[in-house]
Amino acid sequence: MTLSRIGATTLAQMKMMFRRRIVLFWSLVFPIILMALLGLLFGRSIDAGTITVIDASHTPASAAMVHALSTTKGVTVKTDQTDVAHARKQVQDGDRDALVVLTKTPSGATAAHLYYSNASATQAGIIRGIVSGASSRISVAATGANPAIVFSQQSVDSASLNYIDFLLPGILALAIMISAVIGLSTVLVTWRKQGVLRRLKLTPMPLWEFLVARVAASLTLALLQVAVLITFGALVFGVSISPTAWAAIPVALVGALCFLVMGFTVGSLVAEPETADAVTNVITNPMMFLSGTFYPVAAMPAFVQTIAKVLPLYYMTNALRDTIVRDRGLMYVMPDIGVLLLVTAVLAIVSLRTFRWE
Amino acid sequence: MVAIQVDTLTKRYGEHVAVGGISFQVEQGEAFGILGPNGAGKTTTLEMIEGLRKPDSGQVHVLGRPVWPDPRSVQSLIGVQLQSTTLFDRLTSRELLELFARFYNRSDGAERAQLVLEQVGLVGKADAYADDMSGGQQQRLAIALALVHDPDVVFLDEPTTGLDPQARRNLWDVIRAIHADGGKTVVLTTHYLEEAETLCDRVAIMDESRVIALDTPAGLIASLGAEVRISYTEGGEERVAYAHDAQTAVLETLEAARQRGVQIEGLSVRGPSLEDVFLNLTGREFRE
Repeated sequence: MTLSRIGATTLAQMKMMFRRRIVLFWSLVFPIILMALLGLLFGRSIDAGTITVIDASHTPASAAMVHALSTTKGVTVKTDQTDVAHARKQVQDGDRDALVVLTKTPSGATAAHLYYSNASATQAGIIRGIVSGASSRISVAATGANPAIVFSQQSVDSASLNYIDFLLPGILALAIMISAVIGLSTVLVTWRKQGVLRRLKLTPMPLWEFLVARVAASLTLALLQVAVLITFGALVFGVSISPTAWAAIPVALVGALCFLVMGFTVGSLVAEPETADAVTNVITNPMMFLSGTFYPVAAMPAFVQTIAKVLPLYYMTNALRDTIVRDRGLMYVMPDIGVLLLVTAVLAIVSLRTFRWE
Repeated sequence: MVAIQVDTLTKRYGEHVAVGGISFQVEQGEAFGILGPNGAGKTTTLEMIEGLRKPDSGQVHVLGRPVWPDPRSVQSLIGVQLQSTTLFDRLTSRELLELFARFYNRSDGAERAQLVLEQVGLVGKADAYADDMSGGQQQRLAIALALVHDPDVVFLDEPTTGLDPQARRNLWDVIRAIHADGGKTVVLTTHYLEEAETLCDRVAIMDESRVIALDTPAGLIASLGAEVRISYTEGGEERVAYAHDAQTAVLETLEAARQRGVQIEGLSVRGPSLEDVFLNLTGREFRE
């Protein structure tokens, strides 16, 4: 092994990567377009629309709930209705986006019933998240064994974030994942199929050096993605970047490494470049929708939340969001980094056992 | 001085014998050809010598060093052009050559790249990407890559397959120059008879996993014991005969036909070639 050889090989790998316009498009341009598109579509903040609140409970807890909802960004609260049936019809007809009815339970607690239309699944999910978030905050604030408001147990993260703030780390994680997985799966299969690996086998340079050089080039791309997307997000979309955002660098590197090894595993297992593409899609597409990229996982059905917790993209997205927009430092995201490293190690063992030259 | 020593080299794939215990020597500075039809075992033989494919039994030595069990000991001594390698896209010829020089830990990559580009006549394409070049130019680049670390022995696996006649002749000049001016030992496989005849000092003819003849092209042809080859068509059937003296043979052929009262057509007389050697040894026509 010589460092200068690895250096020269890394440089060559970077040329091969960056000279392909399509790579630059998918890794840097497309994420920005996607962010702009979704940002425009959903506005600068999470706009869940207008909610009717009917307080039939008249307890301090219900009053606090109404106050909490009224002060939540992204929803407009109306208390002009008293007839539940009529208010429900308004939601059905699409005049209002949701209805929250606060009633007193026999035990003296307050129950919050949420009515929403499935016509807009995204909006409904966000509203669900906001209302459950508000109720849980009040529950925590209340004393005693009985919760002040009975609703949903989970807190929701997005309520305090502008949508574009929420979106930026998600799209960054997505972009890094896609670039990294494709960066080794399809490429490795193509090299093998075209005989490049056999040709390298004839030189004194060990293959691992070549792969290390490729990984180094891909990690450089990941850093570039972090820099470009955060800069763009801050300057063009007005995302408020936390001072802890530097911690996104180690998170991005570990995440990229995890997905590079995942790509290497795919590349070791399949024979045709087309198969590699298909397998890559099968792996990345569900992750994209289930890991909280566009939409908070906490506001999804319980079984989806369970699935999300086994997906590495979920941890990378969380950790990037925590560090870039939630003002949380490196120590806070260490568990996420640990999960990513664990997945990396498992995949590395699998891929080294299945690797083939020809 | 022996460049390559091959002793009873064997390779099987299940029941199929790809190479059946072949032995030969290649002298240093020699241009050595392995000629045979597709599937004869040429490439497998070459790959066992290069260290790409492990033989089931037998020995290979390159410049006195055993290739197996550890082919790394000969890697820097040999340069290899594989039958079909598409090289990395988006790297220019010069960048690729400098990168490969690096693989061999050479610090003079820039000079070596320039030198081999001149050797293979590719200076004009130094800054072109490999995937933007013609088939013949890509083959030249593959040969340049085999030469960039200045190896003693160069292996070319079917270097002109798939090229048009003009590109093939141009590449022959390149290969001659590597051998004659560079003084390198060149081992090439081919299924073109003319290529083996014109480029090689000695030729091993392989058929059905064995070496069936090995000599200089002239020696192989002389082994036929004939100076001329006469061919003609009689009653729709092609006949071939070998003879020492063209004049006598032609007259005898015509006389015999006249006596039997048959018409012969397409009478052709020429010196025998490696094609005739193959036909004589196997009883089959050589199909290129």
